[in-house]
Amino acid sequence: MALISFGIYLAFVFLLALLANRVGKSKSFVSEYFLGSKSIGLWAFALTYAATAASGGSFMGFPSLIYTHGWVLAWWIAGYMVVPMIALGLLAKRLNQVGRIAGAITIPEMLRHRFSSQMVGNLATFLVVFFMFFFLMAQFKAGAEIMATLLEGVPVYQKLVVGVESATAGMPWIGNAKADYLLCLIVFAISVIVYTTFGGFRAVVWTDVMQGIVMGIGVVVMLVLVISQVGGLGNATRQLDEMTPPKFVSVTIASEAPVEEDLRLPRGEWLLVKGGHEVIRLGSAATIPAKGEVSAPVDALLITTPAERDRVKRRIDADLKITASMASEPEGYAYGEDKKGVYVHAPGPHRINPAGFLGVMLALSFFAFWNFSGAGQPSYMVRQMAFRDTPTLRRSMVMVAFYFSLIYFPLVIIFTCARILLPGMEIYPDRVMPEMATVLTQNAGVPWLAGLLVAAPFAAVMSSVDSFLLLVSSGVVRDIYQESINPKASEKQIKRLTYIVTVSVGVLGVFAVLHPPEFLQDLIVFASAGLGACFLMPMIFALYWPRTTPAAMAAGMGSGGLVILILYLIGYLQTKEFQEYRLFDLHPFIWSVVVSTLCLYFVSRSTPAISITLRERFFGKEQK
Amino acid sequence: MEESQEGSIEEPPVEDLAASFRQSRKEFWFMVMTWVAFAAWTLGFNFLFAKGEEGEAVEVVFGMPKWVVFGIAIPWMIALGLTIWFAMFYMKDTDLGHTDEEYANEKGDA
Repeated sequence: MALISFGIYLAFVFLLALLANRVGKSKSFVSEYFLGSKSIGLWAFALTYAATAASGGSFMGFPSLIYTHGWVLAWWIAGYMVVPMIALGLLAKRLNQVGRIAGAITIPEMLRHRFSSQMVGNLATFLVVFFMFFFLMAQFKAGAEIMATLLEGVPVYQKLVVGVESATAGMPWIGNAKADYLLCLIVFAISVIVYTTFGGFRAVVWTDVMQGIVMGIGVVVMLVLVISQVGGLGNATRQLDEMTPPKFVSVTIASEAPVEEDLRLPRGEWLLVKGGHEVIRLGSAATIPAKGEVSAPVDALLITTPAERDRVKRRIDADLKITASMASEPEGYAYGEDKKGVYVHAPGPHRINPAGFLGVMLALSFFAFWNFSGAGQPSYMVRQMAFRDTPTLRRSMVMVAFYFSLIYFPLVIIFTCARILLPGMEIYPDRVMPEMATVLTQNAGVPWLAGLLVAAPFAAVMSSVDSFLLLVSSGVVRDIYQESINPKASEKQIKRLTYIVTVSVGVLGVFAVLHPPEFLQDLIVFASAGLGACFLMPMIFALYWPRTTPAAMAAGMGSGGLVILILYLIGYLQTKEFQEYRLFDLHPFIWSVVVSTLCLYFVSRSTPAISITLRERFFGKEQK
Repeated sequence: MEESQEGSIEEPPVEDLAASFRQSRKEFWFMVMTWVAFAAWTLGFNFLFAKGEEGEAVEVVFGMPKWVVFGIAIPWMIALGLTIWFAMFYMKDTDLGHTDEEYANEKGDA
C-alpha cells in the first residue's frame, strides 16, 4: 500500500515537472529556469515558501525532539508565531524591487549590481555554494531514511536491497554504504534531480505547492486521530505529568526453554526483566546462541513509569519464555531522573545536560534564530525575488501565517501525545513520525492512510532539496560561469551547462552523503546558521542603508560566516562531536549577527561611500 | 565593473529617498518592534511560570499546561491576528517594476 502511495505521489511530481517545462519553453531560459520569470502568484509563492521552510527537520527531527523532551518544545518553536511576518516581510518588498532594478536572477548577482562590485558578488557566491552543500547533504540523507522506513517490509524492495548489496560489494566507498540506505538514496536523488533539471524553478514551485498541501492535510489528520485515541488532550497531558524519563541499561538475554539454533531478537523487541517486574526495550538486535546460553550484553531502555510499564507488559507475549537480566547499573537522565512533571514543564528532561533541555537564554536564541536566520536564507530570499507584486506578498503573508500555525503548534500536540501511544521510542527517536503514522492509522482501522501521512515528511524533504539544488547550480552557472568566465555565452550554452551542473551537483551530493554524518539535525542547524550569519545583516544593510559600502558588505558576510565556523570548531574541539560552542549559553548565530553588524557599520563609516549614480539607482526618487 | 568613487555621497537627505523605500523602511521597523514585543512576552512569561512547582500536579487549561496556553498559544493567536492586520492594512502596495513577462510582452507589442 505504501509503495502504491509513493508511486502515485512520484508520478504527480514528474507530471508537474513536465507541465512546468512546457509552460516555460516560450520564455528566456535563465530567468525562467532560476526564477520562474519573476511572476509567481499567490498560492504558488505562499506554499513554495512554506514548503521550503518546513524541511525534513520539521517533520523528522522536530517530532523526535518533542517526543524526547515534552511540552517545552512549544517554547523552543514559539518564535514561529511571528515568522510569517518577519521572515517574509523584513526583506521581501525591497529585495524584489532591488532585484528588478538590478535585473538580477540570483542573490550574489543582485549584490554585485547593488554595489557595482565583482568582489562582493564572488564572495556571496562562494558562501552560498559552501553552506548550501551541507543542506543538500542533510536533505538527501533525510529523504533516503524516510524512504527506507516506509518501504521496510515490502518484498520487492527487500529483493532489490539484496541485489544492490551483491552488486556493490567490493566497490571502494560505495560498497561500504548500507545497501537499503544506498538504494533509497539513489532512487530519491534521481527523482529530485530529474524533475529539478527538467522543470527548473517553476517545477520546483509547483511541486512545492502540492507538497505543501500534502503536509498540511497530513498534520490535520494526525491531530484528529491522536486526540481521539489518547482520550482527549487534557487526559494525555495529565498522564504525561506522571511520567519519568526512561533509563539506559545493558542487558543479557536468555531463553528458559532450550533453543535448538541461534535465536535473533530484532532491535525494538520488548522483554520482561527476570522477576517480571521491570520491562525493557532492546536498543540493538541480540542473538541467543543455541544450547541455552545467554546473549552477549546489548543496549536496552528501561521503562520507569508504572502505568507505562503495565501497558507494555500487556503487549508482551506471555508464552515467550525469554527474559532479560541487567548487566549494568541503569543510567538515568542528567536532568529529570525519577522526576515527575519533567515532560510538562521547562526546561524539559535531558540525558546529558544537567541543566535540562531549554534554558531561557537558549529559548531567546531560538526565538531569534527561527525569525532572523529564516529571513537570511538565500533559498527564501530567491523566492522573495520571484513574487509578482505586493498584493501577492501581503496575501501570502496571511496564508503562511495560517499555514505555520496549522503545522507547528499541532505538531507539538501530536508528538507529546505520542509518548502515550508509543512508549520506548528513545531507541530510535528519529523514526517517531513514520511510526506514529502507522500506529494511528492502524488503530483507526484505516492503514491505507499511513502512506499519505508518511508522504508529508517526504514531501517536506523533497521540497527543500530541490530548492537547494537549484540554488547551488544557479550559483555556479549564473554567478561564476556567466559573470566571470563567459559573459557572452549563448542561451543554448547556458542551458546545456545548467543541466550538466544541476545533475553534477546532485551526483556529488549523493557521493558525499553515502556515509552520512550521525547528527542530521545538527548539520541542518549548522548550514542554516551559516547562511543566516553570512546574509542576514549584510542584506538588511544593503537594502535599507544607502551608506553601506562594498568593503563593509565583504566584511559583514565574511565575519558572519567566520564566527559560525570558529564557534563550531571550538565546540568540536571540546566535545569531539559536531556541536556548537555556546558562549554565555547563546547560539553562535546570535554572536555572528552581533559581529557582522559591527563590521558592517564601522567598515561602512571608514570606507568611501558608493557613487551618487548608484545610490540614485537603488534609493533615489527615480528608481530604475 | 568597479565604479568610480568620484561624486560619492555621505548620508543622503531623507527627502532625496524614494517614497517606496521610506515606506519599506517604516514597515521594517514595525516588524522589528513586533518581534521584540512577542519575544518579551513569551520569554518573560515562560521564564516566570514554565518551570512549575516541584511536587504539584500540572494545571491544565484547554488540555494543555497552563503556561503553554498563556505563554505561547495566546500570544501565537494574537501574533496571527497582528500579521493579518499588518499584511492587509499596514503594509502598502508598491510598484516593484517590471516582471520579465511584462518586459517580454512590451517587446512583443512594440
